[in-house]
Amino acid sequence: MENQIDMSVEFAGLKLANPVWTASGTCGYADELGEFMDVSKLGGFITKSVTIKPRQGNPTPRIVETDNGMLNAIGLANVGVDEFIAEKLPALEKMSCAVFVNIAGETIEDYVAVAQRLCEQKVIAGFELNISCPNVKQGGITFGTQPALVKEITSAVKSACGSKMLMVKLTPSVTDIAVTAKAAVEGGADALSLINTFTAMVIDIETRKPVLANRTGGLSGPAIKPIAVYMVNKVFNEVTKGTQIPILGMGGIRTASDAIEFILAGATAVAVGTSNFVEPNCTVKIIDGIHKYCDNHGVVAVRDLIGKVE
Amino acid sequence: MTEGQPVQQAQTPAPATPPIVPSYNPKGPFEATVVFNKPLHQKFYRLGLQFAGPGAEAFAKTRPGQFAQFDLSNIALPPADAIPEELKDESARQILLRRPFSFARVAKEVIPSAHSAPGQTAHPKPVSSGVGKIIAEVVYCVLGPATLRMTTLVKGNPINVIGPLGNGFTVPAGKKRALLVAGGMGSPPLEHLAQVLTLEHPTMDAIAFAGAKTKEDLPFDRPLDNLSREIGFWLKEFGRYSISSFVATDDGSAGFKGFVSACILDWLSQNALSFNPAEAIIYACGPRSMLTTIAKLARDKKIDCQISMEEMMACGIGLCQSCAVKCVAPVGGGIPAGDKSPTAETYKLCCKDGPVFDAKEIVF
Ligand SMILES: Cc1cc2nc3c(=O)[nH]c(=O)nc-3n(C[C@H](O)[C@H](O)[C@H](O)COP(=O)(O)OP(=O)(O)OC[C@H]3O[C@@H](n4cnc5c(N)ncnc54)[C@H](O)[C@@H]3O)c2cc1C
Ligand SMILES: Cc1cc2nc3c(=O)[nH]c(=O)nc-3n(C[C@H](O)[C@H](O)[C@H](O)COP(=O)(O)O)c2cc1C
Ligand code: FES
Repeated sequence: MENQIDMSVEFAGLKLANPVWTASGTCGYADELGEFMDVSKLGGFITKSVTIKPRQGNPTPRIVETDNGMLNAIGLANVGVDEFIAEKLPALEKMSCAVFVNIAGETIEDYVAVAQRLCEQKVIAGFELNISCPNVKQGGITFGTQPALVKEITSAVKSACGSKMLMVKLTPSVTDIAVTAKAAVEGGADALSLINTFTAMVIDIETRKPVLANRTGGLSGPAIKPIAVYMVNKVFNEVTKGTQIPILGMGGIRTASDAIEFILAGATAVAVGTSNFVEPNCTVKIIDGIHKYCDNHGVVAVRDLIGKVE
Repeated sequence: MTEGQPVQQAQTPAPATPPIVPSYNPKGPFEATVVFNKPLHQKFYRLGLQFAGPGAEAFAKTRPGQFAQFDLSNIALPPADAIPEELKDESARQILLRRPFSFARVAKEVIPSAHSAPGQTAHPKPVSSGVGKIIAEVVYCVLGPATLRMTTLVKGNPINVIGPLGNGFTVPAGKKRALLVAGGMGSPPLEHLAQVLTLEHPTMDAIAFAGAKTKEDLPFDRPLDNLSREIGFWLKEFGRYSISSFVATDDGSAGFKGFVSACILDWLSQNALSFNPAEAIIYACGPRSMLTTIAKLARDKKIDCQISMEEMMACGIGLCQSCAVKCVAPVGGGIPAGDKSPTAETYKLCCKDGPVFDAKEIVF
């Protein structure tokens, strides 16, 4: 690395060391990932979805591989907010990056309750509102597909989360993602994250049954990347451009080039999900790769790339 | 092992920030080098991998039952005419995720001398860390796009590996007799266990049972011949550690005709006088239906039993929660399933809490 490049970005008032995060549900609560990389190198970290009560999740098989992607139907398995505070939060305190807690629930009251339980915790920079999980019977994606509900739940949680930042995670399984993005902004979202997985299905032609026990799952991985880039660009152009609201872009990011595409499309920061499973230290390589790209292209600060697609 | 106690090893959560930062990631990714890739028979192969440096240090400590995650995405397919008809469609699939494999043997590299032909070492040197290279052997079955690609690996090829992962089999105090039970592709970790028992528990009286549908489904080197019909047939893989073995096939095409569990019952009744269940332990790996039967047999006969489970794994390292295994909840209740409140069941992670579990723990 030759020149001094400013890798920092400002994300809804937070100063991040770099724009690379890990995505919710793909790095647990950071403990396991720490065995493979220095997690303090990340720009941000998002926990697995936390719900008010513990959840066991769906029966297995919970995953199936597809061409350049995978379906998952984990079903928001998590320890619940109480054990999260007691067992998982202390370890997150050691992280030097921005820590976001992803919140999920079955009712608006559930979401609000989790936010209230956590809003006094110093280590937490903000919340990511998961209104886009395709793998639970109640709540999840049903909130995320109806603009009126998106607005309602966003404003309810916003008023419960005190000084913490609120980021709303959007589902791509809608006709026009800009509409739900707008609804989240109207509800008071400080940031938007997109995209969550696409609802999808794989059938075993021998048994003539869906492979996943849950029948359907969420498609993630490189297969969804071009759609994710398009959606980030659409939301940037139609909703957030010229505002103070940043986008956390994700969906199939595997390399620094992928991350740069998202940033050019309008993302202020990017999150990596599925690729952590294949290369648990890939985020470090992506950070280095972005640095190299800037160096090679005479870019002095990575933030100068945001939304610069022509 | 005490009543209802899970195999402990991997359960204590690792500290978030290790006190001493090692010079390498203790689980990799490491680059291994293929030293051989030998077709056994039918769709079975034995792959030898050499680890050097930090990889050797990490894999020298592999416990039987532990596994590793292999990145096979960049490996070439065999030529079209070498792809079996039933895998033609499958072979077109792209590979994204790593694939988990356990080990059949892990030993320090032995430079072949005039006295020993390769692969003929009766007793490998105990592996100690920090010295030399490690050879880890995998036995695999060609089933889909990744294992099909594995067949094209040749000596000198690099392969990216994360591991060793999971907990592995343990030997509880007071055990004098080990019954190693392999069903179909479940034999590799038991072969590895045979190796380690010989080295670390030389007084343990071990015996192996290998079952499969037909003799074609037995993942062993020597094609089973007529001799196999005689009880007491020695599989070379266990015989090399002086462990006798029995073969059972559902159709009787080799060894005992019937399920491996029936073969064990048969053996137990013949050895009833010298057999003390409290001093015995069953180690099993294989298809779920077989594990269900073996777990029941162990419970009925009051024999401790450790089983190695397989679940679909996206990461293998505890990140994704895809590999859930339904277990009996500890006293006090586990995590309830969905909106069902207090329950006697909980999920554990095959890749982290397992793959080896106490049979009493699993909800079949
Ligand atoms: C802890 C562990 C240890 C393993 N050890 C070995 C081993 O020593 N030797 C060996 O040959 N195989 C082993 N396997 C299974 C091996 O991982 C799969 O056979 C392999 O992933 C198949 O990949 P593929 O792309 O060739 O086929 P795919 O198309 O991915 O799968 C082919 C078939 O195998 C089944 N399968 C795939 N992965 C698993 C799994 N994780 N558990 C159960 N069934 C599966 C699929 O349902 C499908 O029917 C192990 C699995 C686990 C979880
Ligand atoms: C196994 C798995 C579990 C996930 N769990 C969650 C979750 O708990 N909450 C959530 O908001 N998103 C979850 N996601 C979605 C990811 O955070 C991400 O939005 C999506 O996978 C797209 O990014 P990727 O292609 O880089 O994986 C999960 C994804 C995967 C693959
Ligand atoms: S395979 Fe990902 S947690 Fe076990």
